[in-house]
Amino acid sequence: MTTLFDSTTTVKKELSDQRYIASDEIATIVFLAQKLGKPLLAEGPAGVGKTELAKAIASATGRELIRLQCYEGLDESKALYEWEYSKQLLYTQLLRDKLNDTLGKAESLTEAADRLAKEEDVFFSNRFLLQRPLLKAILSDQPTVLLIDEIDRADAEFEAFLLEVLSDFQVSVPELGTLSAKHKPFVILTSNNTRELSEALKRRCLYLFIDYPNLQEELAVVRLKVPNLNPKLAQQAVEFVQRLRKADMRKSPSISETLDWANALVALNASNLDKDVLEDTLSVLLKHEADLQKAKRQLLNPPQPKQRPADDLGRFSGN
Amino acid sequence: MESRILQLIAALRASGVRVSLAESAEAFSAVDLMGIQDRESFRLSLRATLIKDVKDLSTFEKLFPLFFGSGQPPAMGGNPSDDLTPEEIQMLAEALKQFTEQLRQRMERLMNGEPLTKSELEALAQLVGLNQADDLNYQKWMAQRMMRAMAFPEVQKAMRELMEQLEQMGMNRERVDQIREMVRQNMQGMQEQIEQFAGERIAENLSERPRGENIDNLMNRPFQALSDSEKKLLQREVKRLAAALRTRIALRQKRMKSGQLDPKATIRANLKYQGVPMEIKHKDRVRKPKIVVICDVSTSMRFCSELMLSFLFALQGQVRKTHAFAFIDHLESISEDFNGSNADEAIQSVLWRMPSGHYNTDLGRALGNFNDGYMDTLNSGTTLLIVGDGRNNYNDPRLEIFSAMSRRSTRTIWLNPEPQSMWHGDSDMPKYASLCSNVLKVSNLKELAEAVDKLMTG
Repeated sequence: MTTLFDSTTTVKKELSDQRYIASDEIATIVFLAQKLGKPLLAEGPAGVGKTELAKAIASATGRELIRLQCYEGLDESKALYEWEYSKQLLYTQLLRDKLNDTLGKAESLTEAADRLAKEEDVFFSNRFLLQRPLLKAILSDQPTVLLIDEIDRADAEFEAFLLEVLSDFQVSVPELGTLSAKHKPFVILTSNNTRELSEALKRRCLYLFIDYPNLQEELAVVRLKVPNLNPKLAQQAVEFVQRLRKADMRKSPSISETLDWANALVALNASNLDKDVLEDTLSVLLKHEADLQKAKRQLLNPPQPKQRPADDLGRFSGN
Repeated sequence: MESRILQLIAALRASGVRVSLAESAEAFSAVDLMGIQDRESFRLSLRATLIKDVKDLSTFEKLFPLFFGSGQPPAMGGNPSDDLTPEEIQMLAEALKQFTEQLRQRMERLMNGEPLTKSELEALAQLVGLNQADDLNYQKWMAQRMMRAMAFPEVQKAMRELMEQLEQMGMNRERVDQIREMVRQNMQGMQEQIEQFAGERIAENLSERPRGENIDNLMNRPFQALSDSEKKLLQREVKRLAAALRTRIALRQKRMKSGQLDPKATIRANLKYQGVPMEIKHKDRVRKPKIVVICDVSTSMRFCSELMLSFLFALQGQVRKTHAFAFIDHLESISEDFNGSNADEAIQSVLWRMPSGHYNTDLGRALGNFNDGYMDTLNSGTTLLIVGDGRNNYNDPRLEIFSAMSRRSTRTIWLNPEPQSMWHGDSDMPKYASLCSNVLKVSNLKELAEAVDKLMTG
C-alpha cells in the first residue's frame, strides 16, 4: 500500500502517527519534495532526527526503506551493484559437463565460440548481479524510500557518481544495458555538515535545515517518547538541556541524548533535578569531561537573566 | 509577484548566494504548488528551493521580508493628544513654545503618531545617498543617517525636556508617563518604518546591480590592488577553489598505486578468483602532508595570509595535521582558533587579537619564539610553510634558527608576494631564500591556488 501525502497537514498528521513530531517547516518541505519529485537534503547537527525523519516517512507511506550508509571509501561496487564472481565461478564449474555437451558438438572453433556467445547471457544476468542499495531502490517493484545517510562522509567522487543516479534514476550496467526505475523512489539525503557538499548535488535537492528544537517542541518529543517521566521534571530537564545548548560546549546534547537522559531519570525514579541526580546522570547527556565540569558549575549558579531598565527614550538614541 | 521573486533572486545573487537557473525555475514551480495565500509556506517553498547552505539562510531571512513585507503600516503607539483635557492641552502648548518652529512641528507629528509619507522617505533617501547603497550591512547605518537627517536625536532630546517641563508645570505624573510611553512607541514605529524602507531600497539596489566582473580578472589582480568588496568576492572564491582542489588532491591521494604490496590483503581479495591474483592490493602509504605554517599578519601581508589560512583550513581533510602560527612583532600559535570554528570567524578573531602596528614586523624575534616553544612541531614529514615578505625592518634575521628549522622539516616553502627583483632594502629574503627548498611568488589568488596545489603534491 502506498499512500502519498496530499497536503502539509496530512504530512504532519501521518508523521505524528509514526511518533515523529514535524514542525511546519519540515512538513512543508517534505510535502514539496514529494510533489516536485526532488530529493530532499536534510542538514543539521547530529542527533536532531534526520534519519528518524526518513524512517517515519517510510512507515507513514508504507514504503520500504532502503538505506545507504555512507563512509569514507564507499564506491560504486558497494553502493550500486557488483557481479558475484564467486557464484559465477561456481556455476561454471558445476555446469562444465553441460558446457562440454553444448560445445563438444561444434565442428570448428568458430562455431564453438558462437555457441558459447549464445549462452553468455546466462552468466551475465540478474541472477549473478549483487544488488546494492541504489540498484535495489531503482529495481524495486514497489515504490521505496531511499535514505542516503551522512553523505558528507563519502568522498567527493562518490557524490559525482550519485548525481547521475539521482538526476534520472537509471543506471547502465555494461553487460545488461540501461536499467531504469519502475517507480521513482523518494530520496532523502542527510548530512551533518562536516564538509561542504558540491554545488551540483545541492542544486538537485530541496534543502531542509533541521536545527535543535525549541523548548516546546523538545518537550513535546520527550512527552511522546518518554511518557512515564513526570511532567514537571520533564519541563525542568528540557529547560536544562536547552540552556546547555546555549552554553559553549564541545558537543551540545542532541535530542536523542535528551531522550536517553529522560529515560535514565525515569529509571532512577528521580523526582527533582537536584545536585545528586545530576551528578549521577549527567554523563548520559554530555560526553566530554570538560563539558561535564562546566555544566555542573553552571547548574550550581544559574545565570540571572539580565534586566533591561524600563526607561526610556534614550534607548533609541543613535547607538 | 513574479517580478518580485525575480528581484529577490537577483538580490540573493548580489549578496553572494549562488542561485542557478534551474533552482529559480524550481522556486516558481514550488510556489505554483503551494500557492501564495499562506505567507509562511510561501517563504518555505522559496527557501527550500533557493537556499542550499546554512550560511545563506540568514541572508535569505534578511532579504525575504524586504521584498515580501507584511504590508502593514508601521506600528504607531497612538495619539496621546486625543484624550487630553483642555487644561493639559493648554499646558502642552505652553511647554512647546520654548522650542523652535521646526522642532515643534516635528514633535507635534510624533505626538500625533503620524508615520512618514512615501515622498518624505524618498526625500530623506535622496539626502543621505541611500540610492547608491547596495550592501545590506549598511541598512542600520543608512537608517541612522536618515534619522539624523530629520533631526531625530534633537527631537528626542527635546521630547525629554518637554516631559520634564510638563512635570514641572504640574501635570499629573501618571499622565506624563502615559504620554511618554506613547511617544516612545511612536518613535520606535518611525524608526522601524525608516529601517524597513532603507532595507527595501538597498535590496532593490542589490537586485539591479549588474553582475560582478569576471572572477578570472580578479584572480589575476595583485592583492594590493583589490578593493574591500573585491576582497570579499575573492574570499568566497577561495572556498570554491579549495573545494575543487580538495577533490583533485583526494583523487590523487587515492589513486596512488605505487605503494608496497600488501600480501595478506591481496590473497584475501583474490580468493574469489580461486587464488589467481587478479586484484593487487597495496599497503596504504600516508601521503598526506603535515604542515606547519607561519604567517606574517602585518598590514602589508594581512590579506595574503588570510587567504592562505582559509585555504589551508578548507583543505583540513587532506592534511594530516596543521599547526598555524601568526606573527607581527612576536609569534603566537593560532591553531586553537581554528579548532571547531569556521575559518572566517577564526581569522577574524586572530586579526582582532593581533592588531598591526607601524613598521614593527620582526621575523627574527618570531623565529626566536618558535625556537623556544614549538620546535617539536617540526619533524620528518613536516612541510614548513612561511607566508611573508621577509622584510625585517633591519632586525636580526636569526638565520641560525631558520636553518635549523628548515633542516628538521622535509620541505621548506616560502610564499612571498614580492618578485625577486624587489628583494632589497630591508628585505632579508635573499638570505632566507637560500635555506628554502622553494620560494614561490604569490601576489594574486591564481598564484596562491597554484602554490597550494604544489604544497599538497609533496
